Amino acid sequence: MRKILAIAGSNVRRMLRERSNIFFVFIFPIALILLIGAQFGGDFDPGVGIHQEDEGPLAAAITEEIQSDDSLAVTIFETRDELLDAVERGTVQAGLFIPAGASGRAEAGEQVELGFVARPDGAGPQLQSVVSAGVARVMTPVGAAQFGAEKAGASFDEALEVARSQTDAAPGLDVETIAVGEALFPTTLGRFDLGAAQQLVLFTFLTALAGSAALILSRKLGISRRMLSTPTSTGTIVGGEGAGRWAVAMVQGLYIVIVTYLLFRVDWGDPWGALLILVAFSAVGAGAGMLMGATFKNDQQAGGIGVVLSLGLAALGGCMLPIELFSPAMTRVAHLTPHAWALDGFAELVRRDGTVADILPELGVLVVYATVLLLLASWRLRAVLTRP
Amino acid sequence: MTAVLAAQGLIKSFGDLIAVNGVSFEIAEGETFGLLGPNGAGKTTSISMVAGLLEPDNGTVHVAGTQIRTNSTNGRSDIGLVPQEIAIYPDLTATENLRFFGRLYDMPGETLDKRVEEVLEVIGLSERQDDLVSEFSGGMQRRLNIGIGLLHRPRLLILDEPTVGVDPQSRNAILESVEDLSGEGIAVLYTTHYMEEAERLCDRVAIIDEGVIKAEGTRRELVSLVGEKDRIRVTVTGDLVEVARVASELPAVHEASPADSGVDVLANDASSVLPELLSRVAATGANVTGVAVSEPNLEAVFLHLTGKALRD
Repeated sequence: MRKILAIAGSNVRRMLRERSNIFFVFIFPIALILLIGAQFGGDFDPGVGIHQEDEGPLAAAITEEIQSDDSLAVTIFETRDELLDAVERGTVQAGLFIPAGASGRAEAGEQVELGFVARPDGAGPQLQSVVSAGVARVMTPVGAAQFGAEKAGASFDEALEVARSQTDAAPGLDVETIAVGEALFPTTLGRFDLGAAQQLVLFTFLTALAGSAALILSRKLGISRRMLSTPTSTGTIVGGEGAGRWAVAMVQGLYIVIVTYLLFRVDWGDPWGALLILVAFSAVGAGAGMLMGATFKNDQQAGGIGVVLSLGLAALGGCMLPIELFSPAMTRVAHLTPHAWALDGFAELVRRDGTVADILPELGVLVVYATVLLLLASWRLRAVLTRP
Repeated sequence: MTAVLAAQGLIKSFGDLIAVNGVSFEIAEGETFGLLGPNGAGKTTSISMVAGLLEPDNGTVHVAGTQIRTNSTNGRSDIGLVPQEIAIYPDLTATENLRFFGRLYDMPGETLDKRVEEVLEVIGLSERQDDLVSEFSGGMQRRLNIGIGLLHRPRLLILDEPTVGVDPQSRNAILESVEDLSGEGIAVLYTTHYMEEAERLCDRVAIIDEGVIKAEGTRRELVSLVGEKDRIRVTVTGDLVEVARVASELPAVHEASPADSGVDVLANDASSVLPELLSRVAATGANVTGVAVSEPNLEAVFLHLTGKALRD
């Protein structure tokens, strides 16, 4: 075991020492996750701008009502032009304009027109509903107060106070919303969660395959052969090289898990489940990397093919576009790759709060992939090492 | 002396090519044994079988009494292999390379730490121990390549053309290190196609060509085997014919003849005949102004045995 650890350790040390890896292993994956999260993330509050020309109590009440909605990010603008400009530029998704004298006209029972502005695309219609509902909550007691003042001869302010208290005391009407079917991506999914799992799978496999170059270099330099002249069996050397590839893949995977959790609070679901997927998928990558390292003679050739293979399998397996968006036929094709099974496992853990028991099928498939690839690679490497 | 290495009747073929055909030799403790031959002569195939990297079609290899087989690690701890290529990790430091191979040789922690320091001292890399090997010169890399072979104090050190592509200064340093090894009791198997290295380092030499050992022995034995003599040029003023006649009367002298301003003498062993020869020449009244001795070298022996030059 000490020798296997020595061989594996030298592989990890060499990977960490390679300068280009600082970018491709440590910076690039995190940058991609950040970029994808920024582009496709879902958990943001839509911005609504308000410009209030009227300084009366009703205008203030409307502004306060809209500001109290936690689902909106409200910005107050000093001028109408600033508000329009912000909507046009997309700084806010919609704007509400309260004209001068609105409060007085409303109290006098006159029709008041508030301005709502939104871009034709995006969330305008939904925001209009939210804003209208807020305005209605303020204006309903106003109507009641006018009616009360007129019929009972009380002052408008007294009638408004009574109307508001009655509105608050009135029993509410709850509308139960029932969602039918299952959302592709639950609303609880963080903006980085989906991309992080995809990039984890992509880069773990890519780094494992890139490790094949190190194995080829060891063979070319005669280091593998020299190892055989020591009291170290061929099996131990093969085991050490396999463990080395696996350790390199694990370093990559664990790095992405830990850093994305710390930086972006990515939810990886059940930690044991996530760890088991990573262990099994790294073993798949290790087998593939070792098989390439034992098959190719030229490290540059292996490096080029490794990148193409990694990106191709990643695209096919759902690392670039979620499998949920694939056609049924392509979904079946995707599941010929280990990537799709790993992503299914993460989806079960993250989106459906799955446990280790829930991902046993995915783990089983990954273990089969890993076993077949590692056996093939071991057979091939043993043959190469003992060849005259 | 006890034979550390005993190779008996080694045969190895690759398809129709018989790379090694019946090679046998032994190396004693503290002895440096050279396998001298041109490229493709069968040197590397022979040492691959000795190191247990290649299974012979026939024949056996015993190191310190243990039979060396490719499918067993028995006896490997007694062997240190320095391959022809620089088989070290360029992206690790000198210390990291030594430690890595030390672990493969089952060296325990404290012993390994101490031995790494010693070896770095021996190969002159102590001050560069934490530098990456890729930053080393070719000569420094060669020295580290040898250091790894010495790390676990093997009883047999196999050096496969260790000076190929090395600058003269590093080459001399490597040869000096090898000379020191025999003093430490290590049996050394040294392959080379440089005749000067074999002559300088080896107690015994086997001349190998086309997979067959053509002759084996000390340099003198090999030279005498093919009838080559030492040549002594005695520069004298006086009667050259008389000097030649007197010299030829000595029993150890094979032939003596006048030449330009002196006499050329062919003898079996120049060092033993020289005192008597000079004494007799002086007795003729001739005035000796110079003596030059040239011994026949292995190049000539190789040419005689194989009909071709070493570098062919």
